[in-house]
Amino acid sequence: MRARSGIATVVLIGALPIALIVGVWHVLAATGMAPPSLLPAPSAVAARLVQQWSSPAYLEHAASTLLRLFAGFGIAVIAGIAIGVAVTASRWVGATVTPLVRVLAPVPKIALYPAFILTLGFGDASKIALVVADAVFPILLATAQGTAAVEPKLAWSAQAAGASRWRCLLTVVLPAALPSVLTGCRIGLVISCIVVFLAEMITSTDGLGHLLVRAARSFQTVDMFVPLITISLLGLLLNAGFNAVRRRLLAGFPETTE
Amino acid sequence: MIAIEAVSKTFETEKRRRLPALCDISLAVAAGEFVSILGPSGCGKSTLLYIVGGFVAPSAGAVTVNGQRVTGPSPDRGPVFQEFALFPWKTVLGNVMYGLQRQGVARQQALARARELIAMVHLAGYENLYPKELSGGMKQRVAIARTLAYRPSILLMDEPFGALDAHTRTRLQNDLLDIWERDRKTVLFVTHSVEEAVFLSDRVVTMTRAPGRLKQIIAIDLPRPRSRAALLLDRRFQDYVVGIERLMDSADSGAPA
Repeated sequence: MRARSGIATVVLIGALPIALIVGVWHVLAATGMAPPSLLPAPSAVAARLVQQWSSPAYLEHAASTLLRLFAGFGIAVIAGIAIGVAVTASRWVGATVTPLVRVLAPVPKIALYPAFILTLGFGDASKIALVVADAVFPILLATAQGTAAVEPKLAWSAQAAGASRWRCLLTVVLPAALPSVLTGCRIGLVISCIVVFLAEMITSTDGLGHLLVRAARSFQTVDMFVPLITISLLGLLLNAGFNAVRRRLLAGFPETTE
Repeated sequence: MIAIEAVSKTFETEKRRRLPALCDISLAVAAGEFVSILGPSGCGKSTLLYIVGGFVAPSAGAVTVNGQRVTGPSPDRGPVFQEFALFPWKTVLGNVMYGLQRQGVARQQALARARELIAMVHLAGYENLYPKELSGGMKQRVAIARTLAYRPSILLMDEPFGALDAHTRTRLQNDLLDIWERDRKTVLFVTHSVEEAVFLSDRVVTMTRAPGRLKQIIAIDLPRPRSRAALLLDRRFQDYVVGIERLMDSADSGAPA
């Protein structure tokens, strides 16, 4: 309750720059400084947005994008956490995986996309693979770092209570590293949003990214902005959902700023 | 029951420098005995406790408990740390339940035992709070209950009251003695407070500056159950405290403060 008015203020201040951009956009369009064929008025985009969101065909495209996003992000979370924990838990895994990660992490994963298409085809699999390849690294690194930094006395307390090494890892080390793990997951989620869109722009027959490219190629500028705004709003929604989950999971941890 | 035999520990730093922490420590602790280890900070007294706990391996020598060589942690030896080391994502009840669950105690029984322990450390009513919502003294009470839950026969206490204010510290010392009087567990208690060591212990083991060696073992011949108020007026108590403080001073002489 005490924070209610505070949150309202924060939301208001946060909305200000967005309102400003839309305002400038409106002025540019309304005064004709930018020709309508290149930059449609925000009102025109908004009208089209509402129309599209009630069109089943458009929603199907959005659903394909979301499916790839969730599948890719989900696999990245599971793989990233599993590998990250293993790196900390086993000296042998750490010694093998760490150099591999150092080599692969800075590679622009989009460069692997042609290879993914050749091996996995044009469908969902290649796009999901690209999302995984990009999103897995921040999650893996945050998990490895977070679990390695866990206070040893927490693990000792668990082992003295009779927890085996594996038990201790799963019931104490991983939960203790959760704040760090979730920070990695949040970065992974943002990257997933970007990469799924990018993959669909490059090669796809459906999805929001495909709609944008198709509209751009036929100079339908209004239709170009609609998927862009859709993915941005989806990202906002996913982030809010993620934060709600995070708050629940981190209920006992000292407060951190988001 | 605890036999520490010629234990030494040398830490290797990142630059391959060797830092001796403990040097040739031998000590026998009888079942049911309350022994304090007293020494200047950095003398390796906590390291010695971690070696007995099986959390750290000695560089030389060995520790045996009831004739069994210590190779790792065991529910027979329960640690209590200065930093509490509570699980922040678990409530008071969840923390105390942890050891019972690892011991395979049935849920209903575990719940009953956990509530009983929480009441014993005077925290009834706080079961569903998270550690971050508790004061330092309350956190240490939870940590003690968490360790007592799996019924260790030995308590390894690493400056457990070192982070608490004087008033809370006194209360927890009294409560610890109350709990100890009930079942007389073996306690190895690390501290740098002479008064605390004398008040609690049957024997006080003093150590030298790093690398820590045993300096002198003083048997504390004071009647039990002990009351702090009575002891503070007791000449024998005062003599022990002053005598050990002098001994500690001479341990520090010549070394930089």
